[in-house]
Amino acid sequence: MTLIADRPGPGTARPYRFPPVVRRSVAGGEVVAAHLPGQNLAVAMLLLDAGAGREPVGREGLGGVLAKALEEGTSQRDATAYALAIEALGTELVTGLDWDTFQASVQVPVGRLGAAVELLAEAVRTPRLDPDDVRRVRDDEVTALRMDWANPGPRAEAALRADLFGAGNRWGRPMYGDPDSVAGLDVEDVNVFHSEWFIRPGTLVVAGDLDRLDLDALAATAFTGTGGGPVDRGEPIEVPTRGGRRIILVDRPGSVQSTLRLGHPGPHRAHPDHVPVALAGTVLGGAFTSRLNHLIREVRGYTYGIRGDFGSSRRFGRFAVSSNVQTAVTAPALVEAVGEIARTQAGGVTEDELAVARSWRAGQLSVELQSPRAIAGALSTLVVHDLPDDYHARLREELLGAQVTQVSAAATTHLRPDSLTLVVEGDAAVIRDELVATGLGELIDHPPRV
Amino acid sequence: MPDSGYPWPISTTRLDNGLRVVVSEDRTAPAVAVNLWYDVGSRHEPAGQTGFAHLFEHLMFEGSTHVAKTEHMKLVQGAGGSLNATTNPDRTNYFETVPAEHLELALWLEADRMGGLVPALTQETLDNQRDVVKNERRQRYENVPYGDAWLRLLPLLYPPGHPYHHATIGSMADLNAADLATFQAFHRTYYAPNNAVLTVVGDTTVDEVVSLADRYFGAIPPRPDIPPAPDGRVVPATGVPAEETVVTDVPAPRVYVAHRTYPFGTPGYDVMTVLATVLGSGRGSRLYQRLADGERIAQPDLVGAYGVDLAHAPAPLIATATARPSVTGEQVAAGLAQVVDELATVPVTAAELDRAKALLTTAWWRQMSTVDGRADALSRYATQFGDPAVVAERLPAWLAVTAGQITEAAAEVLGAGDRATLIYLPEGKQ
Repeated sequence: MTLIADRPGPGTARPYRFPPVVRRSVAGGEVVAAHLPGQNLAVAMLLLDAGAGREPVGREGLGGVLAKALEEGTSQRDATAYALAIEALGTELVTGLDWDTFQASVQVPVGRLGAAVELLAEAVRTPRLDPDDVRRVRDDEVTALRMDWANPGPRAEAALRADLFGAGNRWGRPMYGDPDSVAGLDVEDVNVFHSEWFIRPGTLVVAGDLDRLDLDALAATAFTGTGGGPVDRGEPIEVPTRGGRRIILVDRPGSVQSTLRLGHPGPHRAHPDHVPVALAGTVLGGAFTSRLNHLIREVRGYTYGIRGDFGSSRRFGRFAVSSNVQTAVTAPALVEAVGEIARTQAGGVTEDELAVARSWRAGQLSVELQSPRAIAGALSTLVVHDLPDDYHARLREELLGAQVTQVSAAATTHLRPDSLTLVVEGDAAVIRDELVATGLGELIDHPPRV
Repeated sequence: MPDSGYPWPISTTRLDNGLRVVVSEDRTAPAVAVNLWYDVGSRHEPAGQTGFAHLFEHLMFEGSTHVAKTEHMKLVQGAGGSLNATTNPDRTNYFETVPAEHLELALWLEADRMGGLVPALTQETLDNQRDVVKNERRQRYENVPYGDAWLRLLPLLYPPGHPYHHATIGSMADLNAADLATFQAFHRTYYAPNNAVLTVVGDTTVDEVVSLADRYFGAIPPRPDIPPAPDGRVVPATGVPAEETVVTDVPAPRVYVAHRTYPFGTPGYDVMTVLATVLGSGRGSRLYQRLADGERIAQPDLVGAYGVDLAHAPAPLIATATARPSVTGEQVAAGLAQVVDELATVPVTAAELDRAKALLTTAWWRQMSTVDGRADALSRYATQFGDPAVVAERLPAWLAVTAGQITEAAAEVLGAGDRATLIYLPEGKQ
């Protein structure tokens, strides 16, 4: 048999292109659109400045309850009629929430986008919010969160967030709230949040064949009856760094794996080091070939996967590593993961590693930005972070031009292995003594043992 | 109504060694999707070797004759690509989407592991990936509430010896017993060019792909007499409902109702696809309207129904609901069974049918909106139906389904006498 031994080099690179971006101001709101000629599907996404960051402390989960309540009937029709009307177009109303925005979107064959945006606007702008429905939706959301919190992960995630940012701050509490915070919401909270944040026009993002779409008409539909201007979005938050490492142990009796959530505060999204920081994170924990995945999965076999990255929103950011490891190897997995973080902070990255990281991240800007849904997501990045139309092309150049010294310096500056919070959710009776014996830091039981 | 679900060109070429090469050119974006389907899945696994097809899939990323261990991932990601692989009862697929200038690299890598895996396979690699797969099993099936539902449903639906009786992830005991020689033989037996389809979709041409495919794959010898999986097309109805109740650490009672229907790709399964959407997709579906909204016994986020698109035996249709607080598992089971039973007695309305077809139309074009989605579909139709162009018929076939066909099919295969029911109950609350 003859296999070709020599690895082929690349052919001629095609020029990078992000779809043409169109911006308009219509009826008091902004439209940001991308032209996808020939595409059968189209996506419209309404972005509102109503993310989790807007929820009052103690009212976590408010946006999520409101999102569900939007579909419980509108000024025009009851819940069942609404569901049948929007699904007859081929879409559901998809809602999402992150720290910076609330999103509501529809995805339909292009000829139906106008009708779908009408229904989107109807739910977002004029929901019925009948008090009985709101209370029922809230109770269902409490149940849904209890279901979710029965999985490994959410409790560890909440413990990490509280330790990094302080449970007294909104950003130190879970993005979607927890069962108790949602149980404490009342109808008035939901009404106030809607009238404060869901009547402002916001931005309509459209991804589709613009030759077959009327942006002005879509915008008029989305912004009719809205009012109020943009509200100050706040400065980046100074997050104090705590000295010293600590282990927080969250008990999950009988667990056959331990869930790891390791992290410390990191730079916010607009920080000038954003690109080198992202590349340092990619080398350490982002790609399949990252240092962490290579050691913990491919060499040791401790896990199905481990990843780490710098995540950021407008006002704050964090470095975080997550994995599930077999219970019996919890302590060595933790020690080795911390070791890789420390090694990367101290020694930076190599050219060989950076070559993979920069090409991968740059290539993803073509490979992963194909569908209307993905393009709409990319447009929302422009909106939320005030970025220019050619942002993706510029980002690509910046990634490809990043140097080892720059990325290593970012690793040195922004990784803090000595002040990591190491949250371990697992079978405390089995792993507690081993965790203490690692000497990685003081062990704190969560909740405290009585 | 579109008369085609695939308005792009399709070209098929068969190399001398039997490898089918499917190309669909689309210059919209500077990317290409490379997708291989090998016609081997967990349905080929004999007793005592469950989980081997999937564990083998992992080994395919660990190096081959000219590709060092860990290099495969590094080269694809270092070219800017995304990559992965999946194994199911029917088949194993491998795929990467790369910027178009790296097409040749992707083909070289795929050829090297098709033709040259065995010399690179070591005990150390096997032991490492066995541990990884065991952790995959713990993470996805053992350590999450209800995670083992699929593992429990299959043996309720398919009798011992049936190729779908066991789950693709396999058993811990079999994974522990896996030896190197078995995997070497597995590759020699099934990873042959005449048992595979190579599809390339995107920014390239038919000539370029066929010429590169011939260059890199052309010298890999075919294998005669590839053993078929056991035939599972006929599963005798027992006439006796199968039921299992699991009392375990779950947060609420949950019920799954499952039936064997028709193989994917048949007219009967097209009817089932529309039926499943009527039954369980979206807030306008019967299950949502009846159990989540109407009687309010089920949690609204957790009701649904879906078919599992398997082609080599009557494929499963699964409906599920999870109890609201203070509702019992028995109530949910009764409610779920009643809504499924009514599919045979309460005709589907025109509005229900239109809603289902609209949702399916969007779902279809969503898969077709990326080069990787299209490549996977073409590989599937070439592998399972002998012709990738058959892909164009699926969406029109869904759109042609009538309410009468749904009623008839429900009466034929969703009868209570041939139903599998799996009930989870929280410990201490039964």
